[in-house]
Amino acid sequence: MVERALLLCLLLIGFWGVVAKKNIIKKIFGLNILNAAAVMLFILEGNRIGSEAPILESGLAQVVDPIPQALMLTAIVIGVCVTALALALAVHLYQITGSFDIETIRERIQDET
Amino acid sequence: MRPEDIVFATVMLPLLGAALAFCAKLLPKGRVASVVEYTGALVGLGLPPLVLILLFPVVFSGQSVSGVVGQWFVGIGITFRFDALAWLVNILGFTIGTAAWVYSLGAGPKGPAFTGVFLIQTAALCATIMTTDLFNLFVCLEIMGITSYVLIPTSRKAGATLASFSYLMVSASAMVFFLLGTYGFYRLTGALSYEGISNGLQAISSSDTVLSIVSLALLVSAIAIRVAVMPLYGWLPDAHALAPHAVSAVLSGVLIKTPLFALSRILFLFPAGMQVGELMGIAGGVTAVLGVVIALSQEDAKRLLAYHSISQIGYVVAAWGMAISIGVDSPAGTSLMVAAFLHAFYHALFKGLLFLSIGTTVDVAKERNVYILRDSIGKLRAAGERIPVTFMCFVIGALAISATPPLNGFVSKTAITYAMKGSLHYYLLSAAAVGTVASFIKLSRIYWPTGKRGRLHPELGILPGSSANPQTKAYGLVARLTAQSVLAVLCIAGGLAAPHILTIIGTLMSRGGTNIAVPPILYSTDNLLKTGVTTLGGILLFFVATSKIGSRVLHTIRTRPRSFQGLFVSFSLGTAVLAAFLVVGKI
Amino acid sequence: MGKRKAWSPTLQACLAIGAMGVVLLPVFLSQTPWPTVARDYLMQYGQDESGARNLVSAIYLGYRAFDTLGETIVLLVAVIGTMGLLSRVESLVNTVGDDDNTIQTVSAFSLRGDKRSSHVLRTHLLEVVTGKIGPIVLLFGFYVMLYGHLSPGGGFQGGVIIASGIVFLALGNQQDNTSALSKSSILGGIESVSFLLFIIVAMSGIFFGKGFFGNPLADSAYPVGFIVLLNSIIGLKVGASIGFMCIAMMGGHD
Repeated sequence: MVERALLLCLLLIGFWGVVAKKNIIKKIFGLNILNAAAVMLFILEGNRIGSEAPILESGLAQVVDPIPQALMLTAIVIGVCVTALALALAVHLYQITGSFDIETIRERIQDET
Repeated sequence: MRPEDIVFATVMLPLLGAALAFCAKLLPKGRVASVVEYTGALVGLGLPPLVLILLFPVVFSGQSVSGVVGQWFVGIGITFRFDALAWLVNILGFTIGTAAWVYSLGAGPKGPAFTGVFLIQTAALCATIMTTDLFNLFVCLEIMGITSYVLIPTSRKAGATLASFSYLMVSASAMVFFLLGTYGFYRLTGALSYEGISNGLQAISSSDTVLSIVSLALLVSAIAIRVAVMPLYGWLPDAHALAPHAVSAVLSGVLIKTPLFALSRILFLFPAGMQVGELMGIAGGVTAVLGVVIALSQEDAKRLLAYHSISQIGYVVAAWGMAISIGVDSPAGTSLMVAAFLHAFYHALFKGLLFLSIGTTVDVAKERNVYILRDSIGKLRAAGERIPVTFMCFVIGALAISATPPLNGFVSKTAITYAMKGSLHYYLLSAAAVGTVASFIKLSRIYWPTGKRGRLHPELGILPGSSANPQTKAYGLVARLTAQSVLAVLCIAGGLAAPHILTIIGTLMSRGGTNIAVPPILYSTDNLLKTGVTTLGGILLFFVATSKIGSRVLHTIRTRPRSFQGLFVSFSLGTAVLAAFLVVGKI
Repeated sequence: MGKRKAWSPTLQACLAIGAMGVVLLPVFLSQTPWPTVARDYLMQYGQDESGARNLVSAIYLGYRAFDTLGETIVLLVAVIGTMGLLSRVESLVNTVGDDDNTIQTVSAFSLRGDKRSSHVLRTHLLEVVTGKIGPIVLLFGFYVMLYGHLSPGGGFQGGVIIASGIVFLALGNQQDNTSALSKSSILGGIESVSFLLFIIVAMSGIFFGKGFFGNPLADSAYPVGFIVLLNSIIGLKVGASIGFMCIAMMGGHD
């Protein structure tokens, strides 16, 4: 119970990072934290129904649920790819406008057009 | 070969084409590389329509091809379903995709990397509409998203990178919430396929209904961001206005509609789906009106078109929402769904046509401000267009979107309003129609001559009347005009062949059952009168808008503060409102 | 025509977080017992149907291999997008001029010998150690990749370790004798060819009568061979992609 409440706080902190922080690198951090919290929730809860890793050997007690683990492999890779692309976009924005602050970037781009 | 194998050809052929295009990237630049790239495009965009023709008899008889990918156990594997809805959305995707790719040969970003990513986007669209598994839907939506984030900055405009970044942030965060919705449903039912979840939801205890409602709300609002209904539209104007023209056409035409129809598969099966449809229908009607008002105030030509996309998707969502809230198994529901799809398809055609022709115009004239740009016909003629094809294409597109008979816009808008006569949606959509006419008169001003005949824009630097015009090649006019003309012809054909098309789609959508939709009577006196009144109202609104007071009001709307945060606030509040609406509906 | 102020940003943020927090409470704090249907089925039939002892591998390369294809595609598109954007940044940087501060930071760690003005970040210790460890890490990556069906591991995990091995090899080149694996043309080639191979393998099931993405080796003696093959292709692809991206971000693509 406590772990899940903490995960909810972690998710909200990540969301706070994406919404409220002005620096775009910090927004990308927030997105990462958001992804991490969701992944951890799946794995944590999937582990409650067993005690062994899902690799079959003889004489095994109940294994944990392998489905959340397989799903989260995909989710983690997708999260990393999106982060890489976001960082490349951030570097490009810095080169164009000279700033990492979202308000400054928006103003400078509007002044150019 | 069994139908199951052919069905996935619509997904695998574009992927194979993309793989060929990426191999072309490895080869040194030259003829061989181009040949490989074009082969890839042919495989990816040319062969799947043939497959769709093969599959037509299957879906026309009301059957559907469904099963598990790889024929694994149904409780764990990925289920799919190729029925009439999937077939229709595939046709939509391939038509617009091919036209846009041909246009990009002349205008837009060229090269094997662009072709490859474009083909991957097309494959993702086909996979999204065919899947009946929640996590597979997540993966397909992410593929669609990441291809958009990559394609938008290829236009090399400064704002495009910022637009792509904002879209990425909003969309990626929304997909995390989608994942949480999937978590909720898996926890409740132990299944990820729609059938499995819906069976499981019948058996849950009453203390768990809140979790199921909240999960559904998370799924729906994550998809609603992609569809850009109010209030979740904030990312769309920048993204569609600053992308390359071919990409704008595909984004506006296909990418905002496919998630909507994929969502309908979820809502058909889940309890509380009908209330979701109700709320989204109302949101759609409001979107249609507000979108058109903001569109009227825009000064950038492509941004005006982008706001129109928001308004028109409002039409589609209004009809679709109403169809789902009534229930698709009744004749009224089916005819609304037919109307919604028809408008989605025709909108893709005429919006694609508009983006491509306006794109050609602003590229040649090197100016996008509708208040400044004038005499585009002359500029286009100077660039090598003997017959004003682009202007004619624009006129066809503008007439189509303003619902003038006998073009396709008239057919679809009449079908929608016929099916929802008398409700709140009806009045909202009629108001939006008036605004549409007004804003397209405003946009058409860029073509009016200024009276200074014979004087050319100094940058074009060529003499009038020169036959061997280097500009023709420089602007890639052949490819551009081919794509535009094909779409224009389809718009006209869609209007003239309306009764046949309506019957075909009606039969397809009714899934072979007994709920055959009743096709509306298109050319009744009522409808024609309504069209006339709308057009007059539009002309009147145009004069009001260009007056002193009107300009002041429009200026205020145009310069309203828009922030990055606003996207997220609207997303959170939208989800909360939807969840509250559903919870209250259950109690 | 001044700018009109929107609502206070902190208020907006609090509103957004608060609304989301309330909506997510039932999701995080629900007490429904976790379903055991999938786990029970897989414990009983997973190894027979797919041939792998690692049930997670059985799922993502067997039952739900289509999702893995999608994930590979996301990686491919992300690499293309990142490379496209970074090459534009590179051209902007090159036009600015050599005494700009930005260039200094970008090239201090870069891989091109001629641009390395100082060895502040790239010490001799780093180069020696990474150069020696690189091949060992690559070997470990191949092991994790190939044994994915028997022990924790698989294509993605092994691929990421291979990528770090490639990065080590690229960092560890003393006197500019770059390993062939850090050349962008080779890495790009491995990536594109493995994508093509993956698609062909996915469609091969059709020709063996097993349907799209079915296991063509299901009736032979070693059905698990399909999983090993897929693991290898994915591992090479992921390794090449991520290695390519890391080297590009360090400033060394040619």
